[in-house]
Amino acid sequence: MNTNPDVIVIGAGAGGPVVAKELGELGIRVLVLDAGPWYGNKKWPKPNKGRGEAKESSDPNDLDGALFRSQITRLENDMDDLVTGKFRWGPADRRRTPWHRNIPDRALLWQSAGIGGGTLHYYSNSPRAFPEAIDKEWPIDYKDLVPYYEKVEATLPVEFAPTTTKEALFYYGAEKSGFTQNRTLDVTNTGYRPQPNAILPPNKHLMDPNYSLEELSHMEGCTLSGHCGQGCPYGPSLEKMAKRTTAVSYVPLAMRTGNVTFRPNTFVTKVLTEMNESGTHHAVGVQVRDTWTGETEEIQAKVVVMAAGCFETPRLWLNSDLPHNPWVGRGLTNHYMDTVTGTFDEKTLIDVVGSSSLNPFVGHTSAARLDYPGLGMIETMGESPGITAQTLFGFSQYGYNILKQDDSSLWEQQGRLIGSELNQAMRDYRRTLTLLIVTDDEPLYRNRVELDPNIKDEHGPVPKIVYSPSEKSKRRREQLTKIATNILREAGAKKVHRSDLPPSYFIHIHSTMRMGYVVDSSCEAYQVERLYVADNSADYNSLGGPNPTLTTQALASRTADMIADKYF
Amino acid sequence: MRRRRNIISVNAKQQEYVQATFQALTDALLPDDGSQNMMVYEYVIYGLNHYVSIQQQLHHKVVPLAYPTAVMLDAAATQLVNAQLIQAKPQPIFSEGRMFSHLSRKDRVRTLSRLENLQIDLYLLPSPFQNNAGMIQHVVDALNRFSVFGYYSEWPAYGSTRLFPPDYRKLEYFPINWQRVGYPGVSLGYRDFRGFLFTIDEVEGGK
Repeated sequence: MNTNPDVIVIGAGAGGPVVAKELGELGIRVLVLDAGPWYGNKKWPKPNKGRGEAKESSDPNDLDGALFRSQITRLENDMDDLVTGKFRWGPADRRRTPWHRNIPDRALLWQSAGIGGGTLHYYSNSPRAFPEAIDKEWPIDYKDLVPYYEKVEATLPVEFAPTTTKEALFYYGAEKSGFTQNRTLDVTNTGYRPQPNAILPPNKHLMDPNYSLEELSHMEGCTLSGHCGQGCPYGPSLEKMAKRTTAVSYVPLAMRTGNVTFRPNTFVTKVLTEMNESGTHHAVGVQVRDTWTGETEEIQAKVVVMAAGCFETPRLWLNSDLPHNPWVGRGLTNHYMDTVTGTFDEKTLIDVVGSSSLNPFVGHTSAARLDYPGLGMIETMGESPGITAQTLFGFSQYGYNILKQDDSSLWEQQGRLIGSELNQAMRDYRRTLTLLIVTDDEPLYRNRVELDPNIKDEHGPVPKIVYSPSEKSKRRREQLTKIATNILREAGAKKVHRSDLPPSYFIHIHSTMRMGYVVDSSCEAYQVERLYVADNSADYNSLGGPNPTLTTQALASRTADMIADKYF
Repeated sequence: MRRRRNIISVNAKQQEYVQATFQALTDALLPDDGSQNMMVYEYVIYGLNHYVSIQQQLHHKVVPLAYPTAVMLDAAATQLVNAQLIQAKPQPIFSEGRMFSHLSRKDRVRTLSRLENLQIDLYLLPSPFQNNAGMIQHVVDALNRFSVFGYYSEWPAYGSTRLFPPDYRKLEYFPINWQRVGYPGVSLGYRDFRGFLFTIDEVEGGK
């Protein structure tokens, strides 16, 4: 951009590109800054190896599906390694370390820098919030969100996930446990349904052997490859990829407006403000740092939108010397998660689903769910072996199964598995069904992101994250875990393992800049005019349990309207 | 020249010690597959040495964690042996290892468990773990995650390039553990479409 933009958006994850596209369509000029690399853009053919010739890109012709496909290798270590992966919270240059977050606990943090942000590795799960979690609590009503949900669902687009073997088994178990189908987008009752996913439906020729899978992977529609978590780059062009990360949906749509520029490798270190005569602060721009060169720069704009994620947005506020607000960084919710994994024998599987193995790696990584307003939800999860072994058998607050033989419990095994137990569990991998427990987590003031008093990185004091679930959240998680275990038993599982995940398993994080406390009902900061929030941190609570992305995108779409109305 | 050689030998000695300690770790956690767990101890060491960097005035410093972590494991093992909670064998399982490497597999796991439950004297641990409960729990947990993810991901199959910077690694063969667990690896798709339970235009609230 040769002149200052009208609006600066910080972060090109789930929310930022939505704001950019909506404002761009109204003729408002937007610059989106992201700290990480850009995969699938010809201006950065080797985005991890060097800073490239260009600084920014606004021409949709720069986008290249074949390049995207060559970079997104679908290998779990290459893509998802938390230290060196292409999808990590760190700079594009993978020789360098990730950006440090001090989490003084057993912790696993799935965040990704880069154009697309967390939607690069998310499973594309796009359910709406539970209406009761909004209506009883938020400063806005569920019905205020509905038109924006509809708009985002149509744009991404969202469709209910197709059934493969593992979902067929889940539906069978859910039905036998006494649950019924929930045929709705607005969930007010308990029941099971396919995940509403931002993934294109399977190509109609997928089951036709006259089309090779190679051909199908270059055609429109999901091929059920199971690579959601590794970024799945299948489709005829970048904009038609089956998995609808914002990198292939809202980012190109924003560029097509002719008014939006994206700039990767740019870390925002400060929001710049001025005070007017009446003593009110207002945002006037940002200070940035180039992640390859360390060069700093200030960019001015009329409005600044923070969409940097639930840890980075409050950190940025705190590092910018903005007015004190006791709720900045506070009220962190995390869907306090757990997993149960059932192992089935071949005979049961043949009887129930007509196949001797389940192959959890086939189909959408998470394609079916049980909604349970008041408790949260349960979803299927079928990851690749390394992520499976790490999450289910290597990460636990229970400790080691081998050190605690407990014959009286509901589960044959709990916690970390090692040695021959681990070997056996992974040898059964193809005959396992894993359910992820996702709790309606209560916001508490004590759960927080704050600045670490002792540790700085190149962008200033690092975030320190402190989280422990409330008693109510713990009880809800126990109930859901028992329900999930029962579904597996009813489906015929011979053995059930419970991981008992630690609280600091940060995948669905929300509400660190809560609406009604830090931002108003239009997501503008109470204390700083022209400064908005468009990520999960603006959520008032944890939505009742549903995955957060769609609600963030609906809110971002709404926020764009509010910005345009008020300032343009 | 003489002085320089000494420095090198001290570093080499330290490296051998760190390697032996993490070999003892992965030997305790991972399946006994007769192949020294596919050298995953190197992956754990790499991960710990590339995990944290901080800014100190002019210097952007990487804080290598493998060596202090090895010292922590030995300090904890020594405390537990002295308290007669576990027993040391006369010979280490890997020759350059210290107390942690003198333990049975189960006692190595007990040591990790006591550490993560903070059931030891935290003052006797090396920096940055000394009296730092959150850091101990974070890193001891990571030892488990790194070992398991290294082992079951494609990392071992990067073969002779496995310790190169990530963008310079090349897969040299199909990962053995993927073969063992029946994961087909990178896939173009699967013909397992069984239809839709229902679609968005069929439901309440849908299009």
